[in-house]
Amino acid sequence: MANNHLTSESKQLATWYFTFAAILFGAQLLFGLVAAIQYVMPGFLYEILDFSIARILHINALVVWMVFAMFGSVYWLLPDETGIETIGIKIGKLIYWVFVAAIVVVVLVYLLVQVGPADATTIWFITEGREYIEAPRWADWGIVVVALTFVANLFLTGIKGKQTGIVTVLMADMIAFAGLYLAGMFFTDNISVDQYWWWWVIHLWVEATWEVFVGAIAAYGLITMIGAHRKVVEMWLWIEVAMLFGSGILGLGHHYFWIGTPEYWWEIGALFSALEPLPLVAMFVHVLYDWGKTQGGEEARGSSASVIKNKPAFTWFVLNAFGNFLGAGIWGFFHTLPQVNLYTHGSQFTSAHGHLAFFGAYATILIGMMYIAVQGTNGIKIMKHTKASIWGVSMVTGGVVGMTVALTIAGYVQVLVSRAQMGATWAAYFDGQSGSWFTQAMDWRLILGAVTFSGFLLLAKDLLTTGKSPVHER
Amino acid sequence: MFEAFTDVVPSFFGWLNQGPLTLTIFLHTVIILPMIWIYFQEKKRLENEN
Amino acid sequence: MANKSVWSDNRFWQRSATWVTGFASVLLIWLTFDTSVQIAMGNDEDLKNGVTKRVPGPTVINYKITYEMDAKRGHEVPVIGEKENFFGRDDWSEEEAGALLHLGKLGSQAKNCMDCHTLLGNGAYYAPDLTKAWLDPAWGPNGAMQALTAKETKEEAMAEFLQHPDRYPTHARMMPDLGITAKEAKGLVAFLKHMSSIDTNGFPRNFGHMQGAINGK
Repeated sequence: MANNHLTSESKQLATWYFTFAAILFGAQLLFGLVAAIQYVMPGFLYEILDFSIARILHINALVVWMVFAMFGSVYWLLPDETGIETIGIKIGKLIYWVFVAAIVVVVLVYLLVQVGPADATTIWFITEGREYIEAPRWADWGIVVVALTFVANLFLTGIKGKQTGIVTVLMADMIAFAGLYLAGMFFTDNISVDQYWWWWVIHLWVEATWEVFVGAIAAYGLITMIGAHRKVVEMWLWIEVAMLFGSGILGLGHHYFWIGTPEYWWEIGALFSALEPLPLVAMFVHVLYDWGKTQGGEEARGSSASVIKNKPAFTWFVLNAFGNFLGAGIWGFFHTLPQVNLYTHGSQFTSAHGHLAFFGAYATILIGMMYIAVQGTNGIKIMKHTKASIWGVSMVTGGVVGMTVALTIAGYVQVLVSRAQMGATWAAYFDGQSGSWFTQAMDWRLILGAVTFSGFLLLAKDLLTTGKSPVHER
Repeated sequence: MFEAFTDVVPSFFGWLNQGPLTLTIFLHTVIILPMIWIYFQEKKRLENEN
Repeated sequence: MANKSVWSDNRFWQRSATWVTGFASVLLIWLTFDTSVQIAMGNDEDLKNGVTKRVPGPTVINYKITYEMDAKRGHEVPVIGEKENFFGRDDWSEEEAGALLHLGKLGSQAKNCMDCHTLLGNGAYYAPDLTKAWLDPAWGPNGAMQALTAKETKEEAMAEFLQHPDRYPTHARMMPDLGITAKEAKGLVAFLKHMSSIDTNGFPRNFGHMQGAINGK
């Protein structure tokens, strides 16, 4: 990078993390397309790259790119928040390459070896076969080492530098995030016990620690992008933490309705998880309210200039406010009560929720952070939209929302036909899958998936080139 | 209104789960109530600062 | 000047957040201890004495399992009945049955079952749910699968299908050949039979009770 404006090594490392995250994001969408094609044309890549493998890559790339972008976000904001260079950044940089190398090996093994014999060597070296955390055991330990280094960087810097509310929340949140991974690193013959702990990792990540992370990042974004008052932003952050953890930790119970766990989880899971949308409403209000308030203050001074210092990033942050509430909140609430979940559990409903929630809650804000990094790297004072950034954000968002609608319709058909009407057997399943309402929904899912992928290409082009564009104020 | 205990194995949480939302209301209450205490403590602190 | 309100005070919210998070975590850990005891696997003694366990021991493969409506609980529950042959025997010892289940559970992970199917409703949605697959009428004496695979029993039909899924297509969406050996297939069938005996609070509802296809098109 010829004219790199970054003086902080922490921020340089952040850009490395963002770059690899964006590559994995592309891989996620590509394998998602393969899986979507297989729903429409079941013979596609049969016994070459079967649905199971495409899906493993789709969801693992998803989780890993988000973790990369989350690490990147923390390395990016640490110098701003603490006022000092990140401590142990050299080891942080070294560990980055270890992490990347491990990911590449894991992906190649998924692609080329795919499955193994039913023994421990498969679990250790090929796949653990547990959705989202299929990574073999050796990689688990690698991830533990990487996460510990990251947490050490964060803690040492947070303790020595200025400890803002945002840094305090991140420190508490990231240690829980890293620690929870340990719950997914053992083998048991008892599938109920297996899934009990598996949900500790999956749920307590995406419905607790990751959400709190998003709250902290949104707080940072509001301060840096529109100059919101730290005191206000941090008060909201603490309210969000209370509500997110208050509902999210015991909301874990909504995964314990049907896996062999006792009936009392019905009540705990239902009511706590029913409250999970509340903090997401709070976050939504918080982002839009602060925006309006800051802009209003500007106008009261007689200025009509926008308070936003980074238009594309702020667009993604606002989308996050909407998407988190809609995807995680509304779509999650749809099927979180056991009376409903008895029929919707493990259907395309879940898939619809998963698509909009991961996108709305996490992809959006992390892409926003990538734009903030592009702005900082190129020394841009006020960053504006380009054609590619507008088309990128519109197509990606439109595509994901469209896929969600299609999957929701498919979910309805599956729930009514396969579950309620026919009682969930093998024959019932395929009867539901063969109906024209279901197959049409899957056609639309594929078309909108292609739109999403095209949007991603524009987004990637924009992230790579917008830094040099003359439209920005420097 | 209060239904018979139907859980397979009796336990403390199963015992609390005796009717319409008894368990979850209990848990929500014990989580929220101490905030009242925190509220008055903080109120006192703010008054003393003035 | 009026006093500042506690509601707009950061320290109040910080302390509340800390309390709520900490206490919710403590409750979760407590609940985890309680649940862990309840979902621990039973043993052969329990089965012999008719003690109901949420997750029965591996020797449950020696018994007939059905899925029946429980009037008191208001949903279906697995019922463990009389002895039943499993691969020609109904006297699998605790060690043998445990080893078979161990092999099957390992196999279910090594072959990435969960990335097409759902197990206990969790996984991918590209293929049928396997929670109560053992109880699916399709594999029973009147179902299509025994005739299709030219086998006399449910377990043999299932094992044959698992070894050569590409030979017995049930839909355009076919299960690929995953290199499952005869031994592994036996383990996987034991794993499926055991899973069907887990008390899942009535999920899936009405399983296999609907006779005659109602066309969903």
